[in-house]
Amino acid sequence: MDAIAKSARGATQLLTGNEAVAWGARLARPQVCPVYPITPQTPVLETLTAFQAEGTFDAEIITPESEHSVMSACIPASLAGTRVFTATASQGLLLMHELLHYASGARAPIVMANVNRTVASPWAFWPDQTDSLAQRDTGWVQLYVESAQEALDSVIQAFRVAEQALLPVMVSLDAFYVSHAMEPVDVPAQADVDAFLPPFAPERRLDTAQPSSWGNVVSQDMYYRHRQAIEEAMARVPALLAQADGDWQRRFGRGWGVVERYRCDGAQAVVVTMGSMCGTARVAVDDMREAGLPVGLVKVRLFRPLPVAALRAACAGVRDVVVLDRNHSPGAGGVLHQELRAALYGTTNAPRIHGLLAGVGGVNVPPRKIAEFVREARDSEPRPESVWVR
Amino acid sequence: MLEIVIQGRGGQGAQTAGNLLAAAFFGEGAHVQSFASYGGARRGTPVSSFIRADVAPVRLRCDIERADAILCFDATLLEGRLLAAADERTVIVVNSGRGVADFARTLPGYRVVPIDAIGISLRCGLGRIVNSALLGALARAVGSPALGSLERTIAERSPKLTQENLAACEEGFRAADAVLGEGVAA
Repeated sequence: MDAIAKSARGATQLLTGNEAVAWGARLARPQVCPVYPITPQTPVLETLTAFQAEGTFDAEIITPESEHSVMSACIPASLAGTRVFTATASQGLLLMHELLHYASGARAPIVMANVNRTVASPWAFWPDQTDSLAQRDTGWVQLYVESAQEALDSVIQAFRVAEQALLPVMVSLDAFYVSHAMEPVDVPAQADVDAFLPPFAPERRLDTAQPSSWGNVVSQDMYYRHRQAIEEAMARVPALLAQADGDWQRRFGRGWGVVERYRCDGAQAVVVTMGSMCGTARVAVDDMREAGLPVGLVKVRLFRPLPVAALRAACAGVRDVVVLDRNHSPGAGGVLHQELRAALYGTTNAPRIHGLLAGVGGVNVPPRKIAEFVREARDSEPRPESVWVR
Repeated sequence: MLEIVIQGRGGQGAQTAGNLLAAAFFGEGAHVQSFASYGGARRGTPVSSFIRADVAPVRLRCDIERADAILCFDATLLEGRLLAAADERTVIVVNSGRGVADFARTLPGYRVVPIDAIGISLRCGLGRIVNSALLGALARAVGSPALGSLERTIAERSPKLTQENLAACEEGFRAADAVLGEGVAA
């Protein structure tokens, strides 16, 4: 078999998605890491503590009694001017919910990896993005990744974007298919990452030498203007991510985009999805192209802020948009389906949007199923509600 | 692309075997992906491990629906759900003291390669830890990875009893060679 191209300066290792996240964190040199273990995120914490034990990671690792306390520790550490990393999943993310709002309101550029896992009840461990999509209104930037390599690269890119926008960033990877899948990963050299990501040096920080109070009681007007400032910061994120990813591409020879268009030239239908299902959809698109069907994939890597301009451009001129949602918002259906309907509403020659609840709860979605979904969508009228398919 | 399913029971080493196999393919320059069921798995309950190896990067993020090979640590698991991933081309290496003819009668139409891995492991001083013996047999039945690649991986990654594991791997390889020489039903 062909040799895997070795990175000129880094080294290729066999890593799981979780180990790749830990490598990304290590290379970003955070100073504080409050973490609470939860399946399937636990190997992230295990790998970070192993790095610390061997002397290659000198962040302060704090293990409080709950995820609520983890985020409570992350926020002041970040506001004190230190770089902060954490990781969680599923119920742990839900327990953080109150503090997620607080972190973005406090403009704390924390980076958190979230392993997308089903939410209880009933109890399960399968890939499902409902956990993080339920946090879409908390003011966190959200990235969804497809592979261990993209997870490593995204954690480092996330710090650059977070610290420029002064917003927290969540990097989500699917349980099982990414978090626990071992694959070749190019681990960049520390010096190259240092050149990409300068130390965190905020203009203002909590400082005992210059005491100040942050987050105090405000008037209606101050609150209103504060929310406007958060929105302005969010609006800068697509361009900041594109810049960071472009710089990454120049330095490391690979980039991931903001919204990726895969074989979309001349496409009459596009599959739109996030996370690990994008990999399977690429194979389905190749199979359909080979069979003479002009189909492409639109991968939504940045979900918050929703890159509306990029999505409109990616879907322009397409007859059918087939959204695959591995999540479920009861009463609304698939979250990406509803978001895409809103994003494309009012555009000229707006495409027909089909929302499919595929892979909810980790149900297997192989390429032949995706091809079947596309064929069925092409031959049917789109419905406003999402449709259960398997 | 080569797609392999390993089925065992929690504690038998199916996940370790999957990672060793992926590492051996990786050592030969292949692109690999290896993942295993987790979380709900407990000692004694069925655990699946999935391995893909290819000349190009592996993009699929879904279960293996049709395996090129199945490695089964426990013959009682060789039924319904596992066999659904097998067809007449799938080579099935199973840890069992039963003979080829016996499986040809009970599972007609399947290519079953029974290996007495417990016997091998006991002789090699590994007790009932069978993954090195079974991996050797699988490498012979599939035709890859090369025995040398597998042995290098085992030597690098064995936490202890390295020589014993290498001996079991080789004996498993030879046992599969003997079974295939008998002619396994196609």
